[in-house]
Amino acid sequence: MDIQKLLFVTKFEELGFDALQSLLTLRSASLQHVVFVNVIERSRVAMRRGAGYIKSEEVRLRERANIRFIDWAEHLFEQGMEVGVYIVVGSLVSQVIEATKKENADLIVIGKSEKPMLEQFYSGPDVTEIIRRAAVPVLVYKPVPESNLALESPFQRPMLATDWSAGSLRSVGYIKQLKDVVSEVNVISVVEEKTLRGDSAMRIQKFRKEARQKLESLCEEFEAAGIQARAHVYVGDPYEEIERAARECQATLIVAGSSAKPAWAERWIGSVPLAIAEKSAYPTMLVPPEKS
Amino acid sequence: MSKKVLVVDDDPDVRLFTVTVLEEHGYTPLEATNGEEGKKKIKEESPDLVILDVLMPRESGVRLYRELKTDAKLSKLPLIILSGIAKKSFLRSQKALTEFGGDPVPEPEYYMEKPVEAEELAATIEKILG
Repeated sequence: MDIQKLLFVTKFEELGFDALQSLLTLRSASLQHVVFVNVIERSRVAMRRGAGYIKSEEVRLRERANIRFIDWAEHLFEQGMEVGVYIVVGSLVSQVIEATKKENADLIVIGKSEKPMLEQFYSGPDVTEIIRRAAVPVLVYKPVPESNLALESPFQRPMLATDWSAGSLRSVGYIKQLKDVVSEVNVISVVEEKTLRGDSAMRIQKFRKEARQKLESLCEEFEAAGIQARAHVYVGDPYEEIERAARECQATLIVAGSSAKPAWAERWIGSVPLAIAEKSAYPTMLVPPEKS
Repeated sequence: MSKKVLVVDDDPDVRLFTVTVLEEHGYTPLEATNGEEGKKKIKEESPDLVILDVLMPRESGVRLYRELKTDAKLSKLPLIILSGIAKKSFLRSQKALTEFGGDPVPEPEYYMEKPVEAEELAATIEKILG
């Protein structure tokens, strides 16, 4: 579960060098290799009426990306890191998944989707599709809320929001591997209000106690690995409470398991992990369950 | 028999340019698109010269250079680094890797920053291969 190689997927507007630098704290864990990926959407270079395939536009976009990547790569090479690059024309989702497989990457880092809401509803936003299809964790990077600056280290104070799914339990292993980077982890679980409605006070307290005990066992696991950990139980709407908890814990990153629901169900019923990735103000790392 | 030159570069335009220069000057070009493939071709084809890019997928030229220079059988294989990465950064990368516990490696004898003129490249190849 070491993060030795990360794929840094950027269109430059949403994810820049400051974000990359903040991730270099992972070097004190096990990061050795960064692979830059820039995907030129086909619609930007292909088939306009009377023009056909616009080769010159492809060259311009490629070279623009190349100049940025060379600059970043020089910085990383000088620190003794290994660097790779992909500048490709195609669909963002399939190119990222393909590059992840080719490179055998341990983590995908991507900025938040900028597609308009209506387009996202019909096609599914790119970030959501990547989260659904990736076999490795996906970090949806966002700048510090309200300041637009990159965090110093997103992994400094992660908050694990667990629903006890396979993905969220797998997240524990990833966080433990980052013990040299993480200063404290907050572990939270949200009990939905509908679960408690109509029950007696005793029964509600029992729910809280049971949830708390389960969280404490996770905290013990973190502490055994040398990471300070605190448990918190929240009650209410999962997305809203996770966001509230992140604020209260001063989290630098929300970590959760990605949903195991099928794509159609996520689109129509909704998915808490995808809502966090899309809407939360905090950087979010979603960990998929182990794929056989 | 003409001498074999392996071009390791992920950019198809650069490969095309370099292969054309090589063919025009009577060499046999071989191609690889990344460091990993390059290493395989070096072992299989035993080229007389390698023209190596630095920033590539799978395995960069920084690593491949290091592997070649620390391999007893391949350390004398002539190399031209042809890259957009500044020579200063390449040298610092090798120094950093040595500091992290690797073996020291010599500086590359021929380092050319992209883009390069065909005549300049041909003259350098000629100088190495005679």
